Amino acid sequence: MTSLLNALNAGKTSLLTNQKAIEIVGNNIANVNTEGYSRQNAELSPVPAVNFNDFFIGQGVTVANVSRDYNLFITRQLQAKTIDYGAEAGRSDALTELERVFNVTENNLAGSIDRFFDAWQELSTNPGGAVERDMVLQRGEQLGDAFRAITGELDLVAQHLNEEISAGVVSLNEQLTTLADLNQRINLVEISGQTANSARDQRDLLVRELSETLGVQTYTDNRGMLAVQLPGGIPLVQGDRAMTLTALTTGADVQLQVQVGGRAVEVTQANLGGRFQGMFEMRDSFIDGLRGDLDTLAADLAAAVNTEHAKGYAPDGSTGLNFFADLGGITTNQARHLQVALTDGAQIAAAGQPAAAPGDNENALRIAALEVNHTVGTSSDTFDTFFSQLVATVGIEAARNDLALTGARDATVQLQNLRDGFSGVSLEEEMIDLIQYQRGFESSAKFLSTVDEMMNAILQLRG
Amino acid sequence: MKATQQTTYRMLNTRLGDMSLQLEKLRSMGASGKKLTVASDDPTAVRPVLNTRKQLSNVDRYLETLGRAADTMGAADTQLGQVENIMQRAKEIMTGAGNGTLSPADRTVLADELAQLRDQLIDTANTSVNGRFLFAGYQENIKPFAANPAYDPATYDPANSATWPVSYQGDGNVTRLEIGTGQTEQVSLAGSDLFLGVRGWDPAGTNSVDSGRFDLFAELARAEEAVRAGDPAAMQQSLTDLEGAADQNRQLRAQLGVRASRVETAMDDQEGLKIDLKAILSRYEDADAIEVFNDILQQETAFQAALSVTGRVSELSILDYL
Repeated sequence: MTSLLNALNAGKTSLLTNQKAIEIVGNNIANVNTEGYSRQNAELSPVPAVNFNDFFIGQGVTVANVSRDYNLFITRQLQAKTIDYGAEAGRSDALTELERVFNVTENNLAGSIDRFFDAWQELSTNPGGAVERDMVLQRGEQLGDAFRAITGELDLVAQHLNEEISAGVVSLNEQLTTLADLNQRINLVEISGQTANSARDQRDLLVRELSETLGVQTYTDNRGMLAVQLPGGIPLVQGDRAMTLTALTTGADVQLQVQVGGRAVEVTQANLGGRFQGMFEMRDSFIDGLRGDLDTLAADLAAAVNTEHAKGYAPDGSTGLNFFADLGGITTNQARHLQVALTDGAQIAAAGQPAAAPGDNENALRIAALEVNHTVGTSSDTFDTFFSQLVATVGIEAARNDLALTGARDATVQLQNLRDGFSGVSLEEEMIDLIQYQRGFESSAKFLSTVDEMMNAILQLRG
Repeated sequence: MKATQQTTYRMLNTRLGDMSLQLEKLRSMGASGKKLTVASDDPTAVRPVLNTRKQLSNVDRYLETLGRAADTMGAADTQLGQVENIMQRAKEIMTGAGNGTLSPADRTVLADELAQLRDQLIDTANTSVNGRFLFAGYQENIKPFAANPAYDPATYDPANSATWPVSYQGDGNVTRLEIGTGQTEQVSLAGSDLFLGVRGWDPAGTNSVDSGRFDLFAELARAEEAVRAGDPAAMQQSLTDLEGAADQNRQLRAQLGVRASRVETAMDDQEGLKIDLKAILSRYEDADAIEVFNDILQQETAFQAALSVTGRVSELSILDYL
């Protein structure tokens, strides 16, 4: 009798196991489009055999474990490439904006500089003309406005970056907390010998997202929990504890801090990776550099024009006046302060001789010549080429970023495909598994009904 | 390794995205005719483009300046022609007056004509264009020449401008205009140089006629006086001096003519430069229409192929075979 009951039991385990396997297949199919899901697999193993009259007879089948298709190497590589991608993506939005600001149309700052000196050239053909004088004043004002507009745009781009950083911190903190929770859950589940597949998938996905935004580094601690830290070593998640990131507005810019054990640690650009690093670099290095160059240009232009202008004589009898408000005392943001100091066209010193005769154009010629003669600072650039250098710098960076972004994106896509090729759900595979387990289930059912018939036959022996 | 639904669709998605982006770029290039719309399209072209554009705007300015210079010089040349006629007529009168058979009344007529010629010369010297006096140096808003009421033939001294028959209110400066990058050209003549024979006129001090040169007004006045007085020696001297004065005018007129032709050449040069600069600009920023349309066609074909592949992917499913 024992053997028949044993057979019934074996049939039962087979039914249950195949059913379980089909459930897993169903779950795989359900998650075919789930981002970061790793295909799960029922690991079947025979129930330990029992010694029966010196024969070891199997007792059926059981699901020993539900494992996931997982490749640590690919996951790590994907994580690393995602950091590169994030860094370029963080630069890309700001660069698109900057390319609009430093454009190559005729309405850029170079055009305003051209028009300003053109007005001086026109004045040199009729130095006594009131219209020409007003034109020079007006073009000077427009030049100041153009400088203000472009620095204003730079501020706006920096401000957008600041807003993005502040807004990003909220979701980052959420992700860090979730990751710490997952660490705990995985620990609890796996302490009982099971594997927390979906929690691990979820954690991997979170790490990838954090890699893209912060360029985090991870390692597994002695309790099997994933420790997350910034590239510089500042911890973000330790075990089941998540640190808090805070965005602090100091001056015009937003800075990041991590609260580590009640102590606020400043996060500098060197401590960051991924998207945030790209944004910080744009804001603190690139845009700041452009702003500095514009300030140099504005200060140099004002000084050069003022020096020449002060040497000339104006019809109202004045001499030694500055054309632009003196920027000598201002050390920062000179571009914002470029303004015409003269209030009346009669103060324009077009004449090179003290009599300031209406036909005297000597000084106007000298100022007009600055456009081609004068070199900015220690460079060998004229005002115009100095600015075109800035445009080219933005262009080169944008082109490089475009290329690097495409490259990094292609690399991540490739790695994601590689990962999915290993861990992803293939419908064909699942369908075949489904048939396989279905057949297994059907056979065990058939087996059970056979055993049932056999038992029936035995039971009828008495009657 | 296997191809899953996600990898297939991710791959198709990226490719289609890339292609439509590329197509968009080509279409924008075709529509605008420009291959350089943002700096990153070709960062190396930025500097030449902006520089060429500045040069173009400068060329336009130079052309305008040159046009004005040519106008001023043309007007000055007309007036100098007028001066030449006056001097010619004065010489004729002096030749006639040297004839000893003239009566005092005849000589008075000739002397009166000489006086009139002097007035005419003053008018010519005071010519203005657009309210600006041509021969006033930098003092272009002040009428430069006026008869000197204190003139006394007896005290006339070429070395003292206060004793001259015509006083000069202008200065000795000549206008220079920029007619090319770093290139200026003298476009006017100072009245003092032209009519008074003084280079480097000092408006505040006393001026004297340069040696070997002539004060045209004084020569006419002295000729008139010689004719009135009927002094043959003085008349002979005047005739020689008038000849010299006319030469002085011709010489300056010739110089003006040379400069005018230089201005004309400069204009031609700038026009030529403008065409060259436009060609350079076009090479850097304009798209080759045929090439762009070819590229668009090619890209569209590739895009269509990618779309049809995408469509076929969903047609093939294991579910249809189970």
